[in-house]
Amino acid sequence: MRDKLIYGAGIFAALYFVRNLYVILLQLPDEAMQGAVYRIFFFHLPPYFTAVACFLGAAIASGLYLKTKNWKYDVFAVSATEVGLALAAINLVTGMIWGRQQWGIWWTWDARLTSALITWLIYLGYLMLREGIKDPSERAKNSAVLSIFAFFAVYFTYKANEWYRTQHPGPVLTIRTGKNTIDPAMQAMLFHNLGAFLLLAVVLVAVRMNLENSQRAVESLRRRAHAIA
Amino acid sequence: MTYFNQVFAIAGKDLRSELRTKEALNASLSFAVVILLLFSFVVDPDSEMLEQMSGGLLWMVFAFSGVLILNRGFARELPNDCLDALIASPIPGSALFFGKAIANFALIAIIEAICFPVFGILYNLTWTAQLPVLVAVSALATWAMATLGTMFGALTVNMQLRELMLPMLIYPMLIPALMSAMQLTTLLVAGQAIDSEHVIWLRVLIAFDIIFTSLAAVLVETVLVG
Amino acid sequence: MDQRNFEYMFYGLAAAWTILCLYALLLTSRGRKIQSEIDHLKRMLDSSPKK
Repeated sequence: MRDKLIYGAGIFAALYFVRNLYVILLQLPDEAMQGAVYRIFFFHLPPYFTAVACFLGAAIASGLYLKTKNWKYDVFAVSATEVGLALAAINLVTGMIWGRQQWGIWWTWDARLTSALITWLIYLGYLMLREGIKDPSERAKNSAVLSIFAFFAVYFTYKANEWYRTQHPGPVLTIRTGKNTIDPAMQAMLFHNLGAFLLLAVVLVAVRMNLENSQRAVESLRRRAHAIA
Repeated sequence: MTYFNQVFAIAGKDLRSELRTKEALNASLSFAVVILLLFSFVVDPDSEMLEQMSGGLLWMVFAFSGVLILNRGFARELPNDCLDALIASPIPGSALFFGKAIANFALIAIIEAICFPVFGILYNLTWTAQLPVLVAVSALATWAMATLGTMFGALTVNMQLRELMLPMLIYPMLIPALMSAMQLTTLLVAGQAIDSEHVIWLRVLIAFDIIFTSLAAVLVETVLVG
Repeated sequence: MDQRNFEYMFYGLAAAWTILCLYALLLTSRGRKIQSEIDHLKRMLDSSPKK
Protein backbone atom coordinates (compact mmCIF):
# COMPACT_ATOMS: atom_id res chain seq x y z
CA MET A 1 0.00 0.00 0.00
CA ARG A 2 2.77 2.35 1.02
CA ASP A 3 4.76 1.51 -2.09
CA LYS A 4 1.74 2.25 -4.24
CA LEU A 5 1.38 5.61 -2.55
CA ILE A 6 5.00 6.44 -3.28
CA TYR A 7 4.65 5.42 -6.91
CA GLY A 8 1.51 7.48 -7.23
CA ALA A 9 3.14 10.50 -5.64
CA GLY A 10 6.13 10.08 -7.92
CA ILE A 11 3.99 10.01 -11.04
CA PHE A 12 2.02 12.98 -9.83
CA ALA A 13 5.24 14.89 -9.19
CA ALA A 14 6.50 14.06 -12.67
CA LEU A 15 3.28 15.26 -14.26
CA TYR A 16 3.34 18.39 -12.13
CA PHE A 17 6.86 19.11 -13.36
CA VAL A 18 5.81 18.60 -16.95
CA ARG A 19 2.98 21.06 -16.52
CA ASN A 20 5.30 23.54 -14.82
CA LEU A 21 7.91 23.27 -17.54
CA TYR A 22 5.25 23.92 -20.11
CA VAL A 23 4.19 27.09 -18.34
CA ILE A 24 7.77 28.19 -17.66
CA LEU A 25 8.96 27.74 -21.21
CA LEU A 26 5.94 28.72 -23.21
CA GLN A 27 3.52 30.82 -21.28
CA LEU A 28 5.40 33.11 -18.95
CA PRO A 29 6.19 36.61 -20.13
CA ASP A 30 9.76 37.63 -20.79
CA GLU A 31 11.90 39.45 -18.34
CA ALA A 32 12.97 42.89 -19.41
CA MET A 33 16.71 42.60 -19.00
CA GLN A 34 17.74 38.99 -18.72
CA GLY A 35 16.15 37.35 -21.71
CA ALA A 36 15.41 33.68 -21.45
CA VAL A 37 17.91 32.85 -18.77
CA TYR A 38 15.77 34.13 -15.90
CA ARG A 39 13.68 31.01 -16.22
CA ILE A 40 16.46 29.13 -14.45
CA PHE A 41 15.20 30.89 -11.36
CA PHE A 42 12.34 28.43 -11.07
CA PHE A 43 14.88 25.65 -10.69
CA HIS A 44 17.17 27.64 -8.46
CA LEU A 45 15.09 28.94 -5.59
CA PRO A 46 12.54 26.13 -4.99
CA PRO A 47 15.27 23.48 -4.56
CA TYR A 48 16.87 25.71 -1.97
CA PHE A 49 13.69 26.11 0.06
CA THR A 50 13.03 22.39 -0.23
CA ALA A 51 16.56 21.59 0.87
CA VAL A 52 16.20 23.82 3.92
CA ALA A 53 12.89 22.13 4.70
CA CYS A 54 14.64 18.75 4.46
CA PHE A 55 17.42 19.88 6.77
CA LEU A 56 14.92 21.23 9.25
CA GLY A 57 13.05 17.93 9.11
CA ALA A 58 16.30 16.09 9.68
CA ALA A 59 17.15 18.26 12.68
CA ILE A 60 13.73 17.70 14.23
CA ALA A 61 13.95 13.96 13.58
CA SER A 62 17.38 13.94 15.18
CA GLY A 63 16.03 15.64 18.28
CA LEU A 64 13.20 13.13 18.42
CA TYR A 65 15.66 10.26 18.03
CA LEU A 66 17.71 11.51 20.95
CA LYS A 67 14.57 11.68 23.03
CA THR A 68 12.93 8.41 22.11
CA LYS A 69 15.74 6.27 20.65
CA ASN A 70 13.33 5.12 17.96
CA TRP A 71 15.27 4.03 14.85
CA LYS A 72 12.61 5.40 12.53
CA TYR A 73 13.77 8.92 13.31
CA ASP A 74 17.38 8.13 12.55
CA VAL A 75 16.40 6.61 9.20
CA PHE A 76 14.38 9.72 8.38
CA ALA A 77 17.20 12.04 9.40
CA VAL A 78 19.80 10.48 7.13
CA SER A 79 17.36 10.21 4.20
CA ALA A 80 16.20 13.81 4.51
CA THR A 81 19.79 15.05 4.78
CA GLU A 82 20.89 13.18 1.69
CA VAL A 83 17.96 14.42 -0.40
CA GLY A 84 18.50 17.93 0.93
CA LEU A 85 22.14 17.73 -0.09
CA ALA A 86 21.20 16.78 -3.65
CA LEU A 87 18.72 19.66 -3.83
CA ALA A 88 21.24 22.11 -2.39
CA ALA A 89 23.68 20.96 -5.07
CA ILE A 90 21.07 21.81 -7.70
CA ASN A 91 20.74 25.24 -6.12
CA LEU A 92 24.50 25.83 -6.23
CA VAL A 93 24.99 24.63 -9.79
CA THR A 94 22.05 26.50 -11.28
CA GLY A 95 23.14 29.59 -9.38
CA MET A 96 26.62 29.32 -10.83
CA ILE A 97 25.34 28.93 -14.37
CA TRP A 98 22.96 31.82 -13.99
CA GLY A 99 25.67 33.95 -12.42
CA ARG A 100 28.08 33.09 -15.22
CA GLN A 101 25.63 34.50 -17.70
CA GLN A 102 24.51 37.49 -15.66
CA TRP A 103 27.68 38.68 -13.99
CA GLY A 104 30.26 36.99 -16.20
CA ILE A 105 31.80 35.01 -13.35
CA TRP A 106 31.29 31.42 -12.23
CA TRP A 107 31.54 32.25 -8.56
CA THR A 108 31.54 35.21 -6.27
CA TRP A 109 31.91 35.33 -2.54
CA ASP A 110 28.72 37.10 -1.76
CA ALA A 111 26.48 36.40 1.21
CA ARG A 112 24.00 33.88 -0.13
CA LEU A 113 26.30 31.89 -2.36
CA THR A 114 28.84 31.59 0.43
CA SER A 115 26.31 30.49 3.01
CA ALA A 116 24.82 28.03 0.50
CA LEU A 117 28.24 26.50 -0.04
CA ILE A 118 28.94 26.38 3.68
CA THR A 119 25.59 24.69 4.28
CA TRP A 120 26.41 22.09 1.67
CA LEU A 121 29.79 21.40 3.26
CA ILE A 122 28.33 21.13 6.74
CA TYR A 123 25.86 18.47 5.68
CA LEU A 124 28.49 16.69 3.62
CA GLY A 125 30.36 16.46 6.92
CA TYR A 126 27.27 14.86 8.42
CA LEU A 127 27.28 12.13 5.79
CA MET A 128 31.02 11.63 6.22
CA LEU A 129 30.57 11.26 9.97
CA ARG A 130 27.98 8.56 9.40
CA GLU A 131 30.31 6.74 7.06
CA GLY A 132 33.05 6.77 9.64
CA ILE A 133 31.17 5.26 12.57
CA LYS A 134 30.37 1.58 12.29
CA ASP A 135 28.29 0.87 15.37
CA PRO A 136 24.67 1.70 14.47
CA SER A 137 23.52 3.17 17.75
CA GLU A 138 26.63 5.28 18.24
CA ARG A 139 26.33 6.40 14.63
CA ALA A 140 22.71 7.39 15.13
CA LYS A 141 23.42 9.22 18.36
CA ASN A 142 26.43 11.16 17.16
CA SER A 143 24.96 12.12 13.83
CA ALA A 144 21.77 13.24 15.57
CA VAL A 145 23.80 15.63 17.72
CA LEU A 146 25.67 16.85 14.65
CA SER A 147 22.43 17.40 12.76
CA ILE A 148 21.11 19.66 15.51
CA PHE A 149 24.35 21.61 15.60
CA ALA A 150 24.35 21.81 11.83
CA PHE A 151 20.94 23.38 11.61
CA PHE A 152 21.79 26.04 14.15
CA ALA A 153 25.05 26.69 12.34
CA VAL A 154 23.30 26.97 8.99
CA TYR A 155 20.83 29.49 10.30
CA PHE A 156 23.59 31.44 11.98
CA THR A 157 25.77 31.42 8.89
CA TYR A 158 22.89 32.65 6.78
CA LYS A 159 22.17 35.53 9.15
CA ALA A 160 25.82 36.44 9.59
CA ASN A 161 26.40 36.48 5.86
CA GLU A 162 23.39 38.72 5.36
CA TRP A 163 25.23 41.51 7.10
CA TYR A 164 28.01 41.30 4.55
CA ARG A 165 27.69 43.37 1.43
CA THR A 166 25.83 41.32 -1.11
CA GLN A 167 25.91 41.08 -4.85
CA HIS A 168 23.02 38.69 -4.91
CA PRO A 169 19.60 39.93 -5.93
CA GLY A 170 17.56 40.94 -2.94
CA PRO A 171 14.29 39.38 -1.92
CA VAL A 172 11.67 39.45 -4.67
CA LEU A 173 8.83 37.46 -3.22
CA THR A 174 5.90 39.61 -2.15
CA ILE A 175 5.76 37.91 1.22
CA ARG A 176 9.20 39.30 1.98
CA THR A 177 9.08 42.71 0.35
CA GLY A 178 5.43 43.39 0.99
CA LYS A 179 4.84 44.99 -2.36
CA ASN A 180 4.77 44.04 -6.01
CA THR A 181 8.29 43.66 -7.26
CA ILE A 182 7.63 40.56 -9.27
CA ASP A 183 5.09 39.68 -11.91
CA PRO A 184 2.28 37.76 -10.20
CA ALA A 185 2.35 35.06 -12.85
CA MET A 186 6.01 34.46 -12.12
CA GLN A 187 5.43 34.41 -8.40
CA ALA A 188 2.61 31.92 -8.80
CA MET A 189 4.87 29.75 -10.95
CA LEU A 190 7.54 29.93 -8.28
CA PHE A 191 5.15 28.52 -5.71
CA HIS A 192 3.97 25.87 -8.17
CA ASN A 193 7.50 24.69 -8.74
CA LEU A 194 8.14 24.80 -5.03
CA GLY A 195 5.19 22.48 -4.57
CA ALA A 196 6.52 20.16 -7.25
CA PHE A 197 9.94 20.07 -5.62
CA LEU A 198 8.48 19.43 -2.18
CA LEU A 199 6.49 16.53 -3.57
CA LEU A 200 9.56 15.19 -5.32
CA ALA A 201 11.54 15.51 -2.08
CA VAL A 202 8.89 13.51 -0.23
CA VAL A 203 9.10 10.75 -2.83
CA LEU A 204 12.90 10.69 -2.78
CA VAL A 205 13.03 10.67 1.03
CA ALA A 206 10.57 7.77 1.10
CA VAL A 207 12.65 5.81 -1.42
CA ARG A 208 15.83 6.55 0.50
CA MET A 209 14.19 5.45 3.74
CA ASN A 210 13.23 2.16 2.12
CA LEU A 211 16.84 1.78 1.07
CA GLU A 212 18.08 2.48 4.59
CA ASN A 213 15.67 -0.02 6.10
CA SER A 214 16.77 -2.64 3.57
CA GLN A 215 20.39 -1.91 4.46
CA ARG A 216 19.67 -2.60 8.11
CA ALA A 217 17.80 -5.76 7.21
CA VAL A 218 20.84 -6.88 5.23
CA GLU A 219 23.12 -6.26 8.16
CA SER A 220 21.03 -8.32 10.52
CA LEU A 221 20.58 -11.08 7.91
CA ARG A 222 24.31 -11.09 7.38
CA ARG A 223 24.93 -11.64 11.05
CA ARG A 224 22.44 -14.51 11.13
CA ALA A 225 23.73 -16.10 7.95
CA HIS A 226 27.35 -16.01 9.02
CA ALA A 227 26.49 -17.28 12.46
CA ILE A 228 24.60 -20.27 11.13
CA ALA A 229 26.26 -21.08 7.79
CA MET B 1 32.95 18.74 44.97
CA THR B 2 31.24 21.82 43.71
CA TYR B 3 30.62 22.21 40.02
CA PHE B 4 33.40 24.76 39.60
CA ASN B 5 35.87 22.53 41.39
CA GLN B 6 34.98 19.69 39.08
CA VAL B 7 35.41 21.83 35.99
CA PHE B 8 38.74 23.16 37.11
CA ALA B 9 39.93 19.75 38.21
CA ILE B 10 39.43 18.46 34.67
CA ALA B 11 40.93 21.58 33.13
CA GLY B 12 43.89 21.43 35.46
CA LYS B 13 44.49 17.76 34.68
CA ASP B 14 44.52 18.41 30.95
CA LEU B 15 46.69 21.49 31.19
CA ARG B 16 49.16 19.81 33.49
CA SER B 17 49.53 16.77 31.26
CA GLU B 18 49.94 18.93 28.18
CA LEU B 19 52.35 21.39 29.72
CA ARG B 20 54.55 18.62 31.03
CA THR B 21 55.12 17.02 27.63
CA LYS B 22 54.33 20.05 25.48
CA GLU B 23 53.87 17.73 22.47
CA ALA B 24 50.82 19.31 20.92
CA LEU B 25 51.88 22.78 21.98
CA ASN B 26 55.25 22.52 20.26
CA ALA B 27 53.80 21.03 17.11
CA SER B 28 51.08 23.63 16.99
CA LEU B 29 53.43 26.52 17.63
CA SER B 30 55.92 25.45 14.98
CA PHE B 31 53.09 24.98 12.52
CA ALA B 32 51.78 28.47 13.30
CA VAL B 33 55.16 30.11 12.80
CA VAL B 34 55.69 28.23 9.54
CA ILE B 35 52.36 29.43 8.18
CA LEU B 36 53.19 32.98 9.21
CA LEU B 37 56.42 32.59 7.27
CA LEU B 38 54.66 31.14 4.23
CA PHE B 39 52.23 34.01 4.09
CA SER B 40 55.06 36.40 3.49
CA PHE B 41 55.24 34.84 0.05
CA VAL B 42 51.53 35.26 -0.51
CA VAL B 43 51.47 38.98 -0.04
CA ASP B 44 54.27 41.51 -0.26
CA PRO B 45 55.19 42.14 3.38
CA ASP B 46 55.59 45.86 2.92
CA SER B 47 52.43 46.58 1.05
CA GLU B 48 49.25 48.15 2.30
CA MET B 49 47.37 44.99 1.44
CA LEU B 50 48.98 43.31 4.39
CA GLU B 51 47.22 45.66 6.79
CA GLN B 52 43.91 44.75 5.24
CA MET B 53 44.72 41.06 5.40
CA SER B 54 46.20 41.00 8.89
CA GLY B 55 43.05 39.77 10.61
CA GLY B 56 42.40 37.11 8.00
CA LEU B 57 45.99 35.88 8.10
CA LEU B 58 46.16 35.72 11.87
CA TRP B 59 42.91 33.83 12.27
CA MET B 60 43.79 31.36 9.54
CA VAL B 61 46.96 30.64 11.46
CA PHE B 62 45.05 30.21 14.72
CA ALA B 63 42.39 28.04 13.13
CA PHE B 64 44.91 25.67 11.53
CA SER B 65 47.21 25.38 14.50
CA GLY B 66 44.29 25.30 16.93
CA VAL B 67 42.92 22.16 15.30
CA LEU B 68 46.18 20.38 16.09
CA ILE B 69 45.52 21.06 19.74
CA LEU B 70 41.82 20.23 19.56
CA ASN B 71 42.60 16.88 17.98
CA ARG B 72 44.48 15.90 21.11
CA GLY B 73 41.66 16.91 23.44
CA PHE B 74 39.71 13.67 23.68
CA ALA B 75 42.24 11.52 21.85
CA ARG B 76 44.50 11.90 24.86
CA GLU B 77 41.98 9.88 26.89
CA LEU B 78 41.86 6.87 24.61
CA PRO B 79 44.87 4.85 25.80
CA ASN B 80 44.32 2.83 28.97
CA ASP B 81 40.54 3.42 28.88
CA CYS B 82 40.87 6.82 30.49
CA LEU B 83 37.83 8.01 28.58
CA ASP B 84 35.66 5.33 30.13
CA ALA B 85 36.98 6.26 33.54
CA LEU B 86 36.14 9.90 32.98
CA ILE B 87 32.66 9.11 31.75
CA ALA B 88 32.06 6.78 34.68
CA SER B 89 33.16 9.39 37.18
CA PRO B 90 30.42 11.14 39.15
CA ILE B 91 30.85 14.54 37.53
CA PRO B 92 28.14 15.77 35.16
CA GLY B 93 28.93 15.58 31.46
CA SER B 94 28.78 19.35 31.11
CA ALA B 95 31.48 19.72 33.77
CA LEU B 96 33.71 17.38 31.77
CA PHE B 97 32.94 19.37 28.65
CA PHE B 98 33.67 22.74 30.22
CA GLY B 99 36.86 21.47 31.82
CA LYS B 100 38.20 20.23 28.51
CA ALA B 101 37.01 23.34 26.68
CA ILE B 102 38.77 25.59 29.18
CA ALA B 103 41.97 23.59 28.83
CA ASN B 104 41.80 23.79 25.03
CA PHE B 105 41.03 27.49 25.30
CA ALA B 106 44.08 28.07 27.45
CA LEU B 107 46.37 26.17 25.11
CA ILE B 108 45.14 27.97 22.00
CA ALA B 109 45.44 31.25 23.90
CA ILE B 110 49.10 30.45 24.55
CA ILE B 111 49.62 29.95 20.82
CA GLU B 112 47.93 33.27 20.11
CA ALA B 113 49.88 35.11 22.74
CA ILE B 114 53.08 33.98 21.07
CA CYS B 115 51.92 34.46 17.50
CA PHE B 116 50.78 38.06 17.85
CA PRO B 117 54.23 39.42 18.75
CA VAL B 118 55.87 37.15 16.15
CA PHE B 119 53.49 38.52 13.58
CA GLY B 120 54.26 42.07 14.65
CA ILE B 121 57.97 41.43 14.33
CA LEU B 122 57.91 39.54 11.03
CA TYR B 123 55.63 42.00 9.28
CA ASN B 124 56.73 45.15 11.02
CA LEU B 125 53.33 46.12 12.38
CA THR B 126 52.44 47.66 15.68
CA TRP B 127 49.41 45.79 16.88
CA THR B 128 49.12 46.90 20.49
CA ALA B 129 47.20 50.13 19.95
CA GLN B 130 43.86 48.57 20.94
CA LEU B 131 45.26 45.81 23.11
CA PRO B 132 42.44 45.31 25.68
CA VAL B 133 39.75 45.11 23.01
CA LEU B 134 41.95 42.88 20.88
CA VAL B 135 42.42 40.52 23.81
CA ALA B 136 38.66 40.46 24.42
CA VAL B 137 37.86 39.73 20.77
CA SER B 138 40.51 37.03 20.59
CA ALA B 139 39.15 35.47 23.76
CA LEU B 140 35.63 35.33 22.34
CA ALA B 141 36.74 33.78 19.07
CA THR B 142 39.08 31.34 20.78
CA TRP B 143 36.25 30.27 23.05
CA ALA B 144 34.12 29.60 19.94
CA MET B 145 36.90 27.42 18.56
CA ALA B 146 37.39 25.63 21.87
CA THR B 147 33.68 24.95 22.31
CA LEU B 148 33.09 23.56 18.84
CA GLY B 149 36.41 21.73 18.88
CA THR B 150 35.77 20.03 22.19
CA MET B 151 32.23 19.10 21.17
CA PHE B 152 33.26 17.62 17.85
CA GLY B 153 36.25 16.00 19.47
CA ALA B 154 33.79 14.11 21.65
CA LEU B 155 31.75 13.19 18.56
CA THR B 156 34.70 11.85 16.61
CA VAL B 157 36.77 10.32 19.39
CA ASN B 158 36.06 6.72 18.41
CA MET B 159 36.53 7.17 14.69
CA GLN B 160 39.51 5.94 12.77
CA LEU B 161 39.82 9.02 10.61
CA ARG B 162 39.41 11.32 13.56
CA GLU B 163 42.19 13.69 12.54
CA LEU B 164 40.56 14.22 9.16
CA MET B 165 36.97 14.43 10.35
CA LEU B 166 37.52 16.99 13.06
CA PRO B 167 38.71 19.81 10.77
CA MET B 168 36.12 18.83 8.19
CA LEU B 169 33.35 19.26 10.75
CA ILE B 170 34.69 22.29 12.60
CA TYR B 171 35.71 24.70 9.85
CA PRO B 172 32.40 25.20 8.05
CA MET B 173 30.54 25.68 11.31
CA LEU B 174 33.15 28.01 12.70
CA ILE B 175 32.97 30.37 9.74
CA PRO B 176 30.66 33.03 11.26
CA ALA B 177 32.91 33.30 14.31
CA LEU B 178 36.07 33.29 12.22
CA MET B 179 34.61 35.88 9.88
CA SER B 180 33.76 38.19 12.76
CA ALA B 181 37.14 37.69 14.39
CA MET B 182 38.94 38.43 11.15
CA GLN B 183 36.98 41.61 10.53
CA LEU B 184 37.46 42.88 14.06
CA THR B 185 41.11 41.89 14.29
CA THR B 186 41.97 43.69 11.05
CA LEU B 187 40.36 46.78 12.49
CA LEU B 188 42.00 46.52 15.89
CA VAL B 189 45.47 45.64 14.63
CA ALA B 190 45.34 48.77 12.49
CA GLY B 191 44.71 50.70 15.67
CA GLN B 192 41.12 51.75 15.12
CA ALA B 193 38.37 51.34 17.68
CA ILE B 194 35.27 49.33 16.89
CA ASP B 195 32.85 51.78 15.33
CA SER B 196 29.12 51.46 14.82
CA GLU B 197 29.65 49.92 11.41
CA HIS B 198 31.64 47.04 12.82
CA VAL B 199 29.93 46.44 16.12
CA ILE B 200 27.66 43.96 14.34
CA TRP B 201 30.60 41.57 14.15
CA LEU B 202 31.06 41.75 17.88
CA ARG B 203 27.39 40.91 18.31
CA VAL B 204 27.71 37.97 15.92
CA LEU B 205 30.68 36.67 17.88
CA ILE B 206 28.96 36.96 21.25
CA ALA B 207 25.75 35.39 19.95
CA PHE B 208 27.74 32.55 18.39
CA ASP B 209 29.48 31.86 21.67
CA ILE B 210 26.31 31.89 23.72
CA ILE B 211 24.29 29.73 21.35
CA PHE B 212 26.90 27.08 20.74
CA THR B 213 28.11 26.90 24.30
CA SER B 214 24.58 26.26 25.57
CA LEU B 215 23.90 23.76 22.81
CA ALA B 216 27.10 21.90 23.57
CA ALA B 217 26.54 21.90 27.32
CA VAL B 218 23.11 20.37 26.81
CA LEU B 219 24.11 17.76 24.22
CA VAL B 220 27.53 16.61 25.41
CA GLU B 221 26.11 14.24 28.00
CA THR B 222 24.20 12.45 25.22
CA VAL B 223 27.31 12.11 23.12
CA LEU B 224 29.56 10.79 25.84
CA VAL B 225 27.16 8.57 27.69
CA GLY B 226 24.31 7.90 25.28
CA MET C 1 9.81 33.46 -26.00
CA ASP C 2 12.68 35.86 -25.91
CA GLN C 3 15.64 34.09 -27.46
CA ARG C 4 18.39 36.05 -25.73
CA ASN C 5 20.60 33.91 -23.51
CA PHE C 6 18.64 30.84 -24.45
CA GLU C 7 21.81 28.73 -24.28
CA TYR C 8 22.46 29.47 -20.65
CA MET C 9 18.89 28.78 -19.70
CA PHE C 10 19.18 25.43 -21.38
CA TYR C 11 22.42 24.65 -19.54
CA GLY C 12 20.85 25.66 -16.25
CA LEU C 13 17.76 23.54 -16.65
CA ALA C 14 19.82 20.64 -17.99
CA ALA C 15 22.11 20.84 -14.98
CA ALA C 16 19.18 20.77 -12.56
CA TRP C 17 17.61 17.74 -14.21
CA THR C 18 20.93 15.96 -14.60
CA ILE C 19 21.64 16.21 -10.89
CA LEU C 20 18.18 14.92 -10.06
CA CYS C 21 18.49 12.00 -12.47
CA LEU C 22 21.97 11.16 -11.21
CA TYR C 23 20.69 11.04 -7.66
CA ALA C 24 17.71 8.91 -8.61
CA LEU C 25 20.02 6.54 -10.51
CA LEU C 26 22.32 6.38 -7.49
CA LEU C 27 19.40 5.40 -5.28
CA THR C 28 18.15 2.72 -7.66
CA SER C 29 21.58 1.19 -8.21
CA ARG C 30 22.14 1.04 -4.45
CA GLY C 31 18.71 -0.55 -4.12
CA ARG C 32 19.55 -3.20 -6.66
CA LYS C 33 22.82 -4.04 -4.92
CA ILE C 34 21.10 -4.38 -1.57
CA GLN C 35 18.36 -6.52 -3.08
CA SER C 36 20.89 -8.89 -4.65
CA GLU C 37 22.72 -9.15 -1.34
CA ILE C 38 19.48 -9.90 0.48
CA ASP C 39 18.73 -12.64 -2.05
CA HIS C 40 22.20 -14.10 -1.67
CA LEU C 41 21.94 -14.13 2.11
CA LYS C 42 18.45 -15.66 2.02
CA ARG C 43 19.80 -18.42 -0.20
CA MET C 44 22.65 -18.95 2.21
CA LEU C 45 20.23 -19.22 5.11
CA ASP C 46 17.88 -21.55 3.27
CA SER C 47 20.60 -23.87 2.05
CA SER C 48 22.40 -24.12 5.38
CA PRO C 49 21.68 -27.13 7.63
CA LYS C 50 18.74 -26.37 9.88
CA LYS C 51 19.60 -26.48 13.56
